[in-house]
Amino acid sequence: MHPLRDKTAIVGVGASPQGKLPGSTALSLAVEAFKRALDDSGLKKSQIDGLLTFPGTTAPEEGYNYLRVGEALGIDPRYTGSMKMGGGSCGALLHQAALAVNAGMANYVACVFGDAAATGGVRFDRASGWGDSLGIWGFMSACANSAITASRHMALYGTTSRQLGEIAVACRKHASMNPNAVMRKPITIEDHQASRWIVKPLRLLDCCLISDGGVCYIVTTAERAKDLKQPLVLVSGMGQAYTTRNMEREDWWYVPHQKLAIEDAYRMAGVGPKDIDVCQLYDNFTSSVLLWFEHGGFCKVGESGSFVEGGRIQLGGELPINTAGGNLSESYMEGWLHLVEGVRQMRGACGERQVEDAEVCLVTGRGAALNTSNVTILRKG
Amino acid sequence: MSEYRKPLPTITDENRPFWEGCREGKLRLQKCGECGHIRYPISHVCPDCLSYEFTWTPLSGRGEVFSYVVFHQLYNKAFADDIPYNVALVQLEEGPRMYSNIVGVDNDAVKVGDKLEVVFDPVTPEVTIPKFRLRQA
Repeated sequence: MHPLRDKTAIVGVGASPQGKLPGSTALSLAVEAFKRALDDSGLKKSQIDGLLTFPGTTAPEEGYNYLRVGEALGIDPRYTGSMKMGGGSCGALLHQAALAVNAGMANYVACVFGDAAATGGVRFDRASGWGDSLGIWGFMSACANSAITASRHMALYGTTSRQLGEIAVACRKHASMNPNAVMRKPITIEDHQASRWIVKPLRLLDCCLISDGGVCYIVTTAERAKDLKQPLVLVSGMGQAYTTRNMEREDWWYVPHQKLAIEDAYRMAGVGPKDIDVCQLYDNFTSSVLLWFEHGGFCKVGESGSFVEGGRIQLGGELPINTAGGNLSESYMEGWLHLVEGVRQMRGACGERQVEDAEVCLVTGRGAALNTSNVTILRKG
Repeated sequence: MSEYRKPLPTITDENRPFWEGCREGKLRLQKCGECGHIRYPISHVCPDCLSYEFTWTPLSGRGEVFSYVVFHQLYNKAFADDIPYNVALVQLEEGPRMYSNIVGVDNDAVKVGDKLEVVFDPVTPEVTIPKFRLRQA
């Protein structure tokens, strides 16, 4: 048995208001999220001795973000740092926190993220990739990378835009049941099909939101967590993998590292796809969700398009995903709210969104230009 | 003549042979002097064997569409008159892949797997951009 299986716990989660929040800054949203997570955990601020942060897209101090957040929170940590992996940051920081608490380098690690992307965000007019080379041909935006994936998946396997729409519809349905979600009005496949092209074959309703907000979660050992306020939620499995060679690797478009990350997480947790009760799958674009099903062994390579049809991935279906609405409809917190929702599902605290008898939750993250990925398996304690 | 406003390459000692080749109507990339790997993007070191030895090797200019997207959203004002415009990930015959545009054809007429050949678009006196057109199989 893997020595880290079920040895780590998430004992507090919190999120600031989400949406378009003029007057907020990355820092003010991060602080508000921390206060809510701390309150959720029942810990005192003086007990937090680890601080890990993701600078997001609008924190001016970038890699020194941990110093600015620490200063604002009045925390002088024993263990700290910032990491920038786009949508892979949340899981990567969780795993780093898990290693730290189990190594005794910190007792309670707060992982914090704030971003003001909606009101103060960067413009997406830069070339997508290093240097200047890709903008020469007009290849720009995060959407373009996922459109490359979608286009080839469609060409090789016959995947359709309507099948991508199934994912958008499921996420919006779940957001409609979440009072904290930004986009709550239910949509249909026809609404998806009528939405305009962004980078064809991806439409507006294939794309995540751009949001202001902050999220925080607090990590400790499973042993310490037993004495704390909330129902026990364990980190059962963790996996990470990366591809740096976008052009040199023929299979880069298929985000092959995600399969390695998910298999590592399965191995650590001692589970497989049949054991997963609910998923929080990183959905920067609908096409990203398809690949998680294939990489996670829920269906065969190329068959994810038909897999998502017929309500299978909606609440009440066989494998509900993104039960709070995901990046597509809840808020674009780069996957941090996916972890929060996963924890709440394992606590049994999701009200009408609760997946009945859910005991194992798969949470995934991915980021940059199809480069970073990580997978966490949560278990009800 | 209107000024060219789209992004241009920053010509460096490292990439100059590529862009000079394009001006001369030749597509060429770096071939590793030790392991023979033809690499892209342009780099001073082979990502396979880490050798610094390389030569600029001429390519056939033939390839096929590996993946293909059409930009309807305007991200950079310089492309306003082009919307909707296509970008293809091109699989070159010799192994590397590169992004480019498919010219001389309707956006909806291009499919993954279509055969391509390089053409050269002189956009400024200094810069000629390699693009592709459909090739009869």
